[in-house]
Amino acid sequence: MVIVESAGVTDVGRKRKGNEDALLLDDDLRLYVVADGMGGHQAGEVASSLVVETIRDYMKRFKEDGDMEALADYHEIFSKEANQLLSCIHMANQRVHQASYSKEMYRGMGSTVSAVYFSHETLMAANVGDSPIYLVHDGSIDLLSVPHTVMAEQTALDPEGAKRLGGQFRHMLTRAIGIEETVEADICEIECFRGDILVISSDGLSDKVSPEEILGVVNKERPDRACRLLVDLANERGGDDNVTVIVLKIQKVRHEKGGIIGLISRIGQGLSNFPLKKYLYKKERSCDADSDA
Amino acid sequence: MPTLMLRFKEKTVGKYHLKKGEALTIGRMENNDVVIENLAVSGRHAKIDSMDDGFLLTDLKSKNGSFVNKQLVSSHWLKHGDAIDIGKHTLVFAYEEGEPRPDDAPAVGMDQTMVMDTAKHREMMAKSPAKMEPQMPEKEEPIGVLSFLAGGEGEVELSKKLARIGKKLSSDIVVRGLMVGQTAATISKRPNGYYLSYVEGISKPNVNGETVKKSVMLKEFDVIEIGSVKMQFVYK
Repeated sequence: MVIVESAGVTDVGRKRKGNEDALLLDDDLRLYVVADGMGGHQAGEVASSLVVETIRDYMKRFKEDGDMEALADYHEIFSKEANQLLSCIHMANQRVHQASYSKEMYRGMGSTVSAVYFSHETLMAANVGDSPIYLVHDGSIDLLSVPHTVMAEQTALDPEGAKRLGGQFRHMLTRAIGIEETVEADICEIECFRGDILVISSDGLSDKVSPEEILGVVNKERPDRACRLLVDLANERGGDDNVTVIVLKIQKVRHEKGGIIGLISRIGQGLSNFPLKKYLYKKERSCDADSDA
Repeated sequence: MPTLMLRFKEKTVGKYHLKKGEALTIGRMENNDVVIENLAVSGRHAKIDSMDDGFLLTDLKSKNGSFVNKQLVSSHWLKHGDAIDIGKHTLVFAYEEGEPRPDDAPAVGMDQTMVMDTAKHREMMAKSPAKMEPQMPEKEEPIGVLSFLAGGEGEVELSKKLARIGKKLSSDIVVRGLMVGQTAATISKRPNGYYLSYVEGISKPNVNGETVKKSVMLKEFDVIEIGSVKMQFVYK
């Protein structure tokens, strides 16, 4: 069981007329999503809110109906929950794709998606497009998402050369929700620890504020204030795009254990600062040494 | 469709036609579409991809670099009249007369997020797999493997995004021992590598002799000990 303190803000920024970003904070489902829409005539807004709603609706159904129907494309390399999250993203893709053909003005609309979902024991981070998901752990900040941009893929080919690439490549996505009939999301599933912080944002933030600056703010401030400060910082630096930030702070991680072993390990954990544990540990080690020999 | 004129010391020494949906390679080796026999030119020096309506020049980490209008580039959308310098040769990119030119088309809205036409891109790759694949950014990631040093035999491929190690029989690697947790540790595949995390139980995992209380990134040849099991992490 993971206990999370969450906050999120979305802001139109200083230059745009509308806000094409959408966000979801659902502490019951423990699902957190940022979507950055694209397409003219409000189509971007339609796309990003469709993404967020679809993912929430399907995740809710998975939770309420338990295992529901067997998933059509279940991949063994992912856990059950990761499969569920991926199928929600696939459903969102399908819906946006279909909607884009329903009206002339929706043609070609799309969205990014970056989602964080907590199962009982782990957290999953999945994304399509360039909205980053950062993990702050032990004072360092790392990307859990994979940026699907021409720039990032060129960087993999030639890191030095990519620095000299023109600005248009920064925002050219190699995949997005709703553009094609199917889409492949990147996902990772990790353990989280007390004190870990997750930041999900749109590129309106990551274009203006560096990961190190984000680290500095979220380490010092509570999630709600951190969101506000980060949005303000992006706006002070021009606010060229819509800015969306979600900050999640892990308050507690409890592992569910049953039976006598659970009891022993709970006692053991309670005693972990005492020499007894070292003694037990040592003893076990020496048994192992025996069996090795 | 546009052409490339190969010029050397004020003389035109070749003419090449670019085609929509086809890639063109430039280099010293004979299997390139444009072969430039000069020691200043790398074996595979640069390529030009057709994307949407435009043509994208990419330098393939050549030794001496590619220049467009005297500027060093790693990647560049070609415009009518661009002069690409490769070694002492120059390739001039030009559209035919009367041909529609996608003037700055790919650069529409510098701040506007847009999506590359991946369908076309894929089609193009399917057409010439031999030519394209080695030049695309590497997609084949090395896969992590745990090979047993003690407490088991053979090796376990870390093909799952999250592998569990512990006493629970459904674990990917089952480890016995009174102090070992049901799920003692997990190994996650993250964008930048594999991470081992401690989960539960009295016996914490050990990497290269150091106890792991939270999580660590695994480096190749790291030795992991959990309970009675000892494994080495390697890439395949």
